[in-house]
Amino acid sequence: MNFWEYLGNRRQQLLADAFQHASAVFQCMVVATAIGVLIGVLTYRSQWAGNLATTVTSTILTIPSLAMIGLLIPVVGLGVAPTVTALTLYGLLPIVRNAIVGLRGVDPTLVDAAKGIGMSRLHRLVRIELPLAWPPILTGIRVSTQMLMGIAAIAAYASGPGLGNEIFRGIASLGSKNALNQVLAGTLGIIVLALLFDAVYVLIGRLTIPRGIRV
Amino acid sequence: MTPKRRGAPRDPEPPHAGSPYTDSPYTESSYADTPYAASPREEDEAAGAAGREGAPTSPVAARQPRRVTWRKVTVLPAVLAVVLLATWLWFAQADLDSISENALSDGQVGKALRQHVELTAISTFFVLVIAIPLGILLTRRAFRKGAPVAMALANMGQATPAIGLLALLVIWLGIGEKAALTGIIIYAVLPVLSNTIAGLRANDPTLLEAARGIGMSPLGVLAKVELPLAVPLILAGVRTALVLNVGTATLATFGGGGGLGVLITTGITNQRMPVLLLGSILTVVLALLVDWLASLAELVLSPRGLEVRS
Amino acid sequence: MSETSGPSGPPAAATGATIELEDLTKRYPGSAEPAVDSVNMEIKAGEIVIFVGPSGCGKSTTLKMINRLIEPTSGRIRIDGEDVTDIDPVKLRRKVGYAIQSSGLFPHMTVAQNIALVPRMIGWKKARITSRVEEMLDLVGLDPAEFHGRYPRQLSGGQQQRVGVARALAADPPVLLMDEPFGAVDPITRDHLQDELIRLQHELHKTIVFVTHDFDEAIKLGDRIAVLRERSHIAQFDTPEAILTNPADDFVSGFVGAGAALKRLNLTRVRDVEMADVPTVTVDDPLQRIFDKLRASGTNELLLLDKRHRPYKWLRRGDLMRARGSLARAGTLVHDTVTRDATLRDALEAVLTDNAGRVAVTGRRGEYLGVVDMETLMNSVHEMLEADRLDALEHQHELEEQRSRLTQHEQEGGSGEATA
Repeated sequence: MNFWEYLGNRRQQLLADAFQHASAVFQCMVVATAIGVLIGVLTYRSQWAGNLATTVTSTILTIPSLAMIGLLIPVVGLGVAPTVTALTLYGLLPIVRNAIVGLRGVDPTLVDAAKGIGMSRLHRLVRIELPLAWPPILTGIRVSTQMLMGIAAIAAYASGPGLGNEIFRGIASLGSKNALNQVLAGTLGIIVLALLFDAVYVLIGRLTIPRGIRV
Repeated sequence: MTPKRRGAPRDPEPPHAGSPYTDSPYTESSYADTPYAASPREEDEAAGAAGREGAPTSPVAARQPRRVTWRKVTVLPAVLAVVLLATWLWFAQADLDSISENALSDGQVGKALRQHVELTAISTFFVLVIAIPLGILLTRRAFRKGAPVAMALANMGQATPAIGLLALLVIWLGIGEKAALTGIIIYAVLPVLSNTIAGLRANDPTLLEAARGIGMSPLGVLAKVELPLAVPLILAGVRTALVLNVGTATLATFGGGGGLGVLITTGITNQRMPVLLLGSILTVVLALLVDWLASLAELVLSPRGLEVRS
Repeated sequence: MSETSGPSGPPAAATGATIELEDLTKRYPGSAEPAVDSVNMEIKAGEIVIFVGPSGCGKSTTLKMINRLIEPTSGRIRIDGEDVTDIDPVKLRRKVGYAIQSSGLFPHMTVAQNIALVPRMIGWKKARITSRVEEMLDLVGLDPAEFHGRYPRQLSGGQQQRVGVARALAADPPVLLMDEPFGAVDPITRDHLQDELIRLQHELHKTIVFVTHDFDEAIKLGDRIAVLRERSHIAQFDTPEAILTNPADDFVSGFVGAGAALKRLNLTRVRDVEMADVPTVTVDDPLQRIFDKLRASGTNELLLLDKRHRPYKWLRRGDLMRARGSLARAGTLVHDTVTRDATLRDALEAVLTDNAGRVAVTGRRGEYLGVVDMETLMNSVHEMLEADRLDALEHQHELEEQRSRLTQHEQEGGSGEATA
């Protein structure tokens, strides 16, 4: 069975896996974005809290995802739970970091000007600081998503959902004829998903970043 | 900053002024600290889009003043030592069944650890030997056209799941350390390469012009100006590669390459939490330790003149 | 402009309000000396007051305490008699325009959005905001149709600064604070912006507090100048004329610098001196009329205006003959004019560089108003200096009298209420 035949035969299964993969990543990203930006907003004004958040996030990023999943299994069990926890946790990190850097990077004279023309704290955050910090935050979201695509594949080993299962099925049947097809289908599927997501982010960037601060 | 920020402190609530934390290890908040900062997209995008803030994501430009402080040297190893001690104590009193005993006996843990370190060290060596010269080459005039191709490849690589890449290599090269090593190297070459290219390009063109202007040969400019300026970046690349490789090496187990991943997968498949935990904890400790060592190396080896940039 | 005052603001919001600072002090924790030490000042409605002083003297801090961007440690601020020291700072700032160096425009908003910010925050209706934005752009000399949708980075430094001023004035605040607003633009643009500000102020009569470290700028713009020394101590607070002719102490005279007489020229504008008149014709006039006028005038010279009455060419008696009656070839082009708001210094410059020693004065749209030449300038400068001298004498006299009266009082054990 060549690769195309394999794809044709297993279309249903593959599409379901791809959908699950994308949906897990997407949902975790939504949660991660909300929490990440919130953490950024809460911590960036304090030197101490912001740096702590940045340090913690970069430390967690250093931890290999398989080890993280391994640590989560005794706590939350196998299956969807460790996957979702690990994905959300890793997804948070680049967003928190970029939100803090982005918010801190807003020109202080602009904040001063905003204060000077009578904008309240909330107004400044919503109208000035967040829009100006949005490009780096969006970049954080892109980076997160790409990372999660790969981590989600590994999470399949802990019975998580998605295209990773395809890859692990291939590894389990090494030497059989279908091994290559399975691994290839899973890997290419994840690449395609990642590129699709990325394209969507480019589009979102086009639509949401004002022309005045676009590159 | 704007020239009007002079004289007496004017800010009503000076956000950073005189903060007691300026010397703490936490000031080390620059982007270069994390493996994923290597992503060229992140760099280009955020740096450009938010250009006013002096490119926060750039591995070179956003560097804060760094010093080797005693807290930096002691805190992390102390924490790791405590973690290891606690794990050891727990194992000393824990009741292990035969499967767990089996998985952990005969110096298997030591072997896994040694394999993991080996995989990381060897792969990092090759990554640096391949990626940095290639990066330098791709920023020379003759080969500059190749750079976008490399960048595009790196971006694609970023989207490739490590486990998929490894599995493909295992199918191609057969089970064993060779496939695992190849996979780890390929996976880390691209980010380090794009980091190198981005960093060399970020060098101030006026400096290079000045260097040429005082009569340096192209080789002289490279050796005396560009590379020294790029040292922090290359060190960041080393750190990136190391951390990334510790992570990818956990996956070597799926290709029969050994490493600490063996303990984790054995724990998961046999449902033995002690084995799983031991593997995970050792991996985490190793990753953090390697990152810490690399960060120290960065501090010690960076040229003095490039240190203070606020 | 009073018809545009906000519904929430007081009815007379369009023109200025008084500002009183009373023992205003700022002390930063951890420093022994206060950054601003007990400033007392009364600023009249509708005047431009300039804070000028060396770097770090606390002039900006003092300014920012007026809209409480920096909270004063002690002291009171009163605007139009109302004590604003303890009111909600956000509310206060919406009534006080604020323009800063390098404009402080928000890069992610268009010019129109930037200007509309404050009106939107205080809840103006959409239609009103739209028309206000157009009006403000027009006011600062930018074509609304062209600049409306642009982003700040698509503007030059001078244009950004204009938009910054427009934004500060959008909600028609009675008070405008300007913190070195023209510090970051090139000298030529700065000059233009200063002229613009003077013109604006002629229309609007706001109370403007303006911080600069450039004494020439202070002289040019200020109705009164507060020369500040360290910790914002007021070395002298007086009209530019008085500071130039009668500096209070060495610090002030050091700050005034050399060339006080030349600087004095900055204080008077062309509109304040008598302009001469030359006979004029327009390009549409028939040739015969032009000949007649030339012959009839005693000056040998007349000014040819274009269709929109802007100075176009200087025509001498022989010019038309030499050009064989062709207007297109005859005469010398007018290459330099000054506006009514130009300072005498600008006019002098123009006169000195003109080969016939005269320069045409134009109005807002460039239309011809009159001519200034060396003679008019000399006369007015002499008059001016003489008047200053008398003023200064009188002033000194008064001071001495006051002092002697005070001493008298003290000797008599009086309460010290010598003057009303």
